[in-house]
Amino acid sequence: MIAETSKPALAVGCRWGGSQEDPMLLFPEGAMKVQGTGLAILELCDGQRTFLDIVEELHRRYFGSDAQRIREDAAKFLEQLHEKRIVDY
Amino acid sequence: MLANPLALIAEITHRCPLHCVYCSNPLELAAASSELKTEDWRCVFAEAAKMGILHLHLTGGEPLARTDLEELIASAHQARLYTNLITSGVGLSRERLARLVQAGLDHIQLSFQDSHPDRADWIAGTKSHAHKVELAGWIREHRIAFTANLVVHRQNLDDLEATLKFLETLRPDRIEIAHTQYYGWALENRAALMPTAAQLEKALAVVAAAEVRLKGSVRIDSVVPDYHAQFPKACMGGWGRRLMLINPAGQALPCHAAGVIPGLVFDNVKERSLQSIWNESAAFQKFRSESWMQEPCRTCERRTEDFGGCRCQAFLLAGDAAATDPVCSLSPRHDSVLRTVCQAPEDIVSPGSPAKSWKYRPNPGRG
Repeated sequence: MIAETSKPALAVGCRWGGSQEDPMLLFPEGAMKVQGTGLAILELCDGQRTFLDIVEELHRRYFGSDAQRIREDAAKFLEQLHEKRIVDY
Repeated sequence: MLANPLALIAEITHRCPLHCVYCSNPLELAAASSELKTEDWRCVFAEAAKMGILHLHLTGGEPLARTDLEELIASAHQARLYTNLITSGVGLSRERLARLVQAGLDHIQLSFQDSHPDRADWIAGTKSHAHKVELAGWIREHRIAFTANLVVHRQNLDDLEATLKFLETLRPDRIEIAHTQYYGWALENRAALMPTAAQLEKALAVVAAAEVRLKGSVRIDSVVPDYHAQFPKACMGGWGRRLMLINPAGQALPCHAAGVIPGLVFDNVKERSLQSIWNESAAFQKFRSESWMQEPCRTCERRTEDFGGCRCQAFLLAGDAAATDPVCSLSPRHDSVLRTVCQAPEDIVSPGSPAKSWKYRPNPGRG
């Protein structure tokens, strides 16, 4: 489980590629197209912001959204990427 | 519409200091004198990136044998390709590693043969294990992805649990467990390498336990060897569908073993653009659609998933590159494959045993 104080960042050997219009997340033996909220979350994963900071920022951006739901969705998304060693925290 | 490939495999040389008994390079290796020059590769990488290719796998032979590897990585990086170096690590100093990383290397995949130094050296036919362990420590000094690759077969599968625990101590991001594929030199040594069904069953349990233990810290990728599977592998994601391989001399192949299939002519990147080879070359077209398929593939509902399996294996085992891959349980020749598996001797040889148990690859790629 990701903690509120965790500071997620792209794992070693994972970086952005593709084109400006069509950003792809590149990692060993794979690539992933990231759009919408997923892209917004990953762009905030700079190793400086805590998970709590990220959730708050998303809540600000997506005004009127359900804070609890944002937290759950973001946690699930980051945990999945953590298992694949694409995000570290 | 035909999509462009996602990855390019560049066999930059066939020269190699190792003599692995399961070497996947073709029996006939490209001579050093025929190798593409630095500038040729630079053009290939730039063109690949323009085609939308994302990943570049630099392999060999041993890619470190190219003295211009730093320049090759730099030009791939400049083209924005994600660059992976597949290496035995033999001869790689701490200083050169730093230069490769500086040039833009994203990922290094270091091969291991076993956890016991003497057994590992015996499989590689070269004293190399101790250096690999030291190199793994140097790799972790850099911010690049690190995969420890282990080729498994009958002679080292019983040690899998210990070997995985040993590999964990090297702190890789990823462990790749690659079952020996029976092409090239490995086919010559198949009788000594083919695992038993009991070994495989145990190995599956060992891998499953490791996946649980290492969840979130090391990613494990492992594939069931196709001789023992019910259906064949979708080799290379389908012939000419996902990947393109350039051999040391510049010939473009749909896979590393395709040279065994008689009658195929491979276009050279020195004469044609990568894009036109991908779109039009006869070798890439040969098994791309479904028109070449025979029964049972032709009407099989799995034909869009596994494309009838591996064309090279069909040729090697059935003598017909358009046949259903004989490892498929639906193939009329499947029994002959099963017989090979069942008849695999169960002997585990040990270092120092008579050389007749297997043949080392002599002097890869000299001349």
